[in-house]
Amino acid sequence: MAREVVSGISVSTGIAIGKAYFLNRSISSNLPRQTVPVHMNAGEKERLQYGFEEAVSELSAIREKVPAELKEHKLIIDSHLMMLKDPKLLKASTKYIDDLCINAEWALDKAVNDLEKTFGALEDKYIRERMQDVCQVAQRVQAKLIGGEEHLRPIEGRAVLMAHDLSPADTIELEVNKLMAFVTTLGGKTSHTGILARTLNIPALVGAEKIESSVVDGDLVIVDGLAGKILVDPDEEELEHYYTLQTQFEDYQSTIIKSCQLPAETEDGYRVQVLANIELVEEISAVIDNGGEGVGLFRTEYAYLNRQELPGEEELVEKYSELAEIMSPRKVVLRTLDLGADKFMSYFGSLDEANPAMGLRAIRFCLKHEDIFNTQLRAILRASVHGNISIMFPMICGLKEVHQAKAALAKAQVELTAEGIPFDEDMQVGVMIELPAAVMIAELLAQEVDFFSIGTNDLIQYSLGIDRTNPHVSYLYQPLHPAIVRSIKYVVDAGHRAGIGVSLCGEVASDPYCVPILMGMQIDSLSLTPQAIPGIKRILRQLGMQECKQLLKEVLQCRTVAKINRLVTDNIYKKYPEELIFFASLLDNEEITG
Amino acid sequence: MTQNSALCESSNEPSSVVVKTVIVVNQLGLHARPAAQLAQVSQNFKAEITIICDSQEVDAKSILDILTLAAAQGSSLELKAEGVDGAEALDCIEELFKSKFGEEK
Repeated sequence: MAREVVSGISVSTGIAIGKAYFLNRSISSNLPRQTVPVHMNAGEKERLQYGFEEAVSELSAIREKVPAELKEHKLIIDSHLMMLKDPKLLKASTKYIDDLCINAEWALDKAVNDLEKTFGALEDKYIRERMQDVCQVAQRVQAKLIGGEEHLRPIEGRAVLMAHDLSPADTIELEVNKLMAFVTTLGGKTSHTGILARTLNIPALVGAEKIESSVVDGDLVIVDGLAGKILVDPDEEELEHYYTLQTQFEDYQSTIIKSCQLPAETEDGYRVQVLANIELVEEISAVIDNGGEGVGLFRTEYAYLNRQELPGEEELVEKYSELAEIMSPRKVVLRTLDLGADKFMSYFGSLDEANPAMGLRAIRFCLKHEDIFNTQLRAILRASVHGNISIMFPMICGLKEVHQAKAALAKAQVELTAEGIPFDEDMQVGVMIELPAAVMIAELLAQEVDFFSIGTNDLIQYSLGIDRTNPHVSYLYQPLHPAIVRSIKYVVDAGHRAGIGVSLCGEVASDPYCVPILMGMQIDSLSLTPQAIPGIKRILRQLGMQECKQLLKEVLQCRTVAKINRLVTDNIYKKYPEELIFFASLLDNEEITG
Repeated sequence: MTQNSALCESSNEPSSVVVKTVIVVNQLGLHARPAAQLAQVSQNFKAEITIICDSQEVDAKSILDILTLAAAQGSSLELKAEGVDGAEALDCIEELFKSKFGEEK
């Protein structure tokens, strides 16, 4: 057994085995703090000045080494350089030497602490977080002062980088190509570490808080980016298991990437569309590289968050047009603003709602704020001439909302016509089915729109009445609950009876245990995160429509979730025992392996 | 744009003060990258340059100072330069704001 197992959030998948290599910049705890005699103050100030200069030349040298494709890195390093050259930081530290007769390291530390207070009081979250950059810069100076000549030891052998946080400068300075994996204690799903690791194609875990106490430099570790854990000091058996798994995973990856541009077609010729869920225009290349046939869900919230002002029409037009143009002739489905619940605009602040998930969000918010909605609708319409754009409204619970939303769209069309601005008059309009009420009236809704998109993440939560992020009830998040399976089938059938397409976006679409059941319902398209597309496409290509229909029939006869899960895992795990180990499933793990 | 033209022409006097008002038009406001550019440009001049936003007054040569303004898109900033090349400095800075710090195409 491994000495310890530390869990983290996987931001880049894969398996790595190597020795822990700690990026030791957490000097603040053993920072030398001394008072110095007054007559030595001048010398201390000179030393401080020298520390800054050395840090500047070191960082400038790193800047030169930044490869051209990492332009963002260069810009971040530029701002770090400006912080080093900032007269304020040096002046404030110098003043502490004068006033308190303390050494340069301590003085700088105090100046940084003062800044931390100033930044901590700022309302803008993005700027507040720049304090992290200030700290990284100050640590570089501290390292120079303390005299760590080469504070980065050369990387030998197979190293797994462990760090509190990873700055862009760190990643340049380090010979990243020699690293097997990244593990950091800080960072969320969208951190810089994840982006870099995915580019380098190595596993990465963030938020692995326990590494600092559980792992020692040089420890043998296994980073399991599939399950999101680190095995510290593993035994022979575990090593052997993971070596095998690693080879299998690498083979598997190269296989699925090779076949990801093939059509998503079952063995017996049933064609399904595999689309991507994205929120940034920059993600388009990942969609195309992974074999996405279009964008099934473009989340439009991003442009509205983390800023004081609302985005203008021109800005949105530019963004949506770029998206449509690059993806063209592939389709792009834009979901209108889904704010509220867990996402709020700083422009409005969060409303004082006891239960925001059931509050003024998504289409409800838009219908209330007509001007905001109008700007977005105009922008989507204007962009529609640049490619194949569809629009869909989220959180629809009744016909009235559909009528109101469509009226708002018609109003925007009338305005544009009057202004002589072109738009695609035949743009498809759809609704998201994510409330149980919308499921029940699917037949009625189908008369009003061109397509349905089932949002299973919300549908599961609203149908089963549970909040998935609440650890007390998260065990009830059951995607194959008989109620959910029946709901999805009901919507697909209602859509097909009315002659409209039904798509599904939500994590269910990237779950290999759920996909065959959806295929049995003859779903028209699946929309999932770009990285999951190659694996799901491969599963799809090995499925037969007859077996999917048979499986669905049997699933519908089961009376409990447990029975369904058993049936599905028995069937599917038997069919793909080799590749299913590379997937994370929404189903209960024990039921899958047991 | 307002400009204190009476003073800015009078060249060499070190006490000459130039004033200009600029609006933050770029989408992200004075975030890290624009702040770095602004400080960099300011440092090329001898004049003392200050930025006034609401009642906060900061040094335009300090990226840290500029960041603490947290000036969002649409904010109106008053620039003040004192020194021989003050007028030139403010022209350059104004240009930077107008170009949206190269943020948008």
